[in-house]
Amino acid sequence: MRISAFFETRWFPALFLLFLLVIPLTTNNYFQFVINLVLCYVLIGFGQQLILGYAGQFSFANAAFMGIGAYTTSIIFTLNVPILIALMAGGLLAALVACLVGLPALRLSRVYLALATIAFGEMTTWVLTHWNSVTKGGDGMYSPVPVFFGYSLDTDTERYFLIAIVCFVMVMIAQRMLASKFGRAFIAIRENEMVASCNGINIPLYKTIAFALSGFYAGVGGGLYAIAVNYIVPDNYDLFQLVIHFALVMVGGLGSMYGVIVGALVLTTLPEVLREFQHYQEMTYGVLLILFIVFIPRGLAGFLKDRRILPREILVHGWKEEIPHVREAAKTAAVFNVGAGAEDRGEEH
Amino acid sequence: MEFFILLSAGLANGGYYALIALGLVLIFKAQDMVQFGHGEVFMIGAFTAYTVFAVVGWPYLVAFFAAVLAATVVGMIVERWLIRPIAHMPHMTLVMVTVGLSFLLKGAARIEWGKDIYTFPAVFKSGPIVIGEVVLMPQQLVLVAFTLTLSVVMYLMFKYTALGKQMRATSQNMTGAQLSGVNIGRVFSSTWAMSGAMGGAAGALSAPVLSLLFPDIGTFILLKGFAAAVLGGFGSVVGAVVGGFAVGVMEKFVGFYIATALEHISAFVIIMLVLIFWPKGLFGKKDVTRV
Repeated sequence: MRISAFFETRWFPALFLLFLLVIPLTTNNYFQFVINLVLCYVLIGFGQQLILGYAGQFSFANAAFMGIGAYTTSIIFTLNVPILIALMAGGLLAALVACLVGLPALRLSRVYLALATIAFGEMTTWVLTHWNSVTKGGDGMYSPVPVFFGYSLDTDTERYFLIAIVCFVMVMIAQRMLASKFGRAFIAIRENEMVASCNGINIPLYKTIAFALSGFYAGVGGGLYAIAVNYIVPDNYDLFQLVIHFALVMVGGLGSMYGVIVGALVLTTLPEVLREFQHYQEMTYGVLLILFIVFIPRGLAGFLKDRRILPREILVHGWKEEIPHVREAAKTAAVFNVGAGAEDRGEEH
Repeated sequence: MEFFILLSAGLANGGYYALIALGLVLIFKAQDMVQFGHGEVFMIGAFTAYTVFAVVGWPYLVAFFAAVLAATVVGMIVERWLIRPIAHMPHMTLVMVTVGLSFLLKGAARIEWGKDIYTFPAVFKSGPIVIGEVVLMPQQLVLVAFTLTLSVVMYLMFKYTALGKQMRATSQNMTGAQLSGVNIGRVFSSTWAMSGAMGGAAGALSAPVLSLLFPDIGTFILLKGFAAAVLGGFGSVVGAVVGGFAVGVMEKFVGFYIATALEHISAFVIIMLVLIFWPKGLFGKKDVTRV
């Protein structure tokens, strides 16, 4: 059995959830903190992956969405609102802002979109720094200790369960969504807008949806991040944060769900492993970004997929069952070795 | 009277915004991409000038040429070893590489200069020139004069020299230019060299005006350059210069008449407003989408 088949089985999600719930038994406090960060970055990375890897929009605004989510969650939570609602509020506000930022994207393309969103990102950092009465300015603020149904989450392990469950649910939703018409529409827009619109895809609508979803994931991820690190500063959401997101998506693999998880795992643990070399952090991310774009454009996930360790992510599942005559045709073709191994040739989205 | 004081201060800042925008526009014209590492080219220029002038103690003119040389060499190396091997890739990829490059260079500068702020000593010992109530620093005048001269030279170069024509041809149709015997490698190389030289010159000339240097300065400067280039309509030499001065002046007016805190973000507001409502800017041409 190929290793990749393991990931494709029906009970894999349940097994993975079980795995997530068992992790805390094996960790100490510090290790647990790192794992919390990994899970936060899975969500944040997914926000970036959606807009960049799937919808193909070159947006520089995700660090700002993450900041908006982190600040909204923390501020709303201080008003004694349940933590899950505070997280949702952070995500929704980030999504709303993302919709607004996405509006110019309907008209702008390529570099112009990058420039507009980078300006938006800088403005957000500026607002977070200067809106003293709400954000406590450039010194940052402590994120309150989350309370989950009257139970205070003091330690990293307790927080882990909150983070892990939110993260698991959101990743499952994301996975279902990308397998639906939304995912196909995003990829169609990425590949060729003209063709996509000729095929009846409402481009403004789907671009806005892509921005909103990306903002939502970045916002919730940012909220969880604020809970995990317990402290938020505006400087944390600047261009460097964005480069971490880019590097995460690129190292993991552009346009791949597994890529986000692999990327989050590698890029969050790497700085912890290389603690003595903290001065070189900026360089490390810069070099990683360049190396992966130039030499391994499909990222680690692509590398693992080629070796059949991770399954290929096929856009349209289930045609074999749904359309009998196609299945018959495929069988016939297989007999004559015509269409054999169509999957292996990698008709990967 | 404050109007003229603000105007002169704004024009002086606009001088190096225009230089940065020119460097960006050059690369955009040749390769249809935005160089996100251009702020770091500026930083290299500024810190080279600082090292030669303030640390070693050689004359400012030597420092200026050292800065231009260093930035030019960096530009050429980046083009030859980083961009050219991947020039055929999508623009998004190229831009992403320059984002990585920007952080690579910034991180490298941190090894030597850390997170501190360095003061660039005054170059001209003579005091400021006072006309009425307007106070002008000699350094500012040099900067503005240099920018204006250079932009005229650039304009003529693009319009009349063989290299300028080759650059325009390459940006319009790379394959077509190649078929007509244009050595596009040389074109790209000279484009990046010129862009680097301008970034380095901007760094060396504006370091005494800014007087404060830190490795992060690149990002800050790059965004101002973006604002200038976008306002001028990305891809136009005249637009970059006019846009640069306009952004400089607008910043000062916003800072004085509305709120001081707004001075630094006015550039970002300009970028967003121009791109949303007027994407082709002052001198840009309309983007044509071909099927």
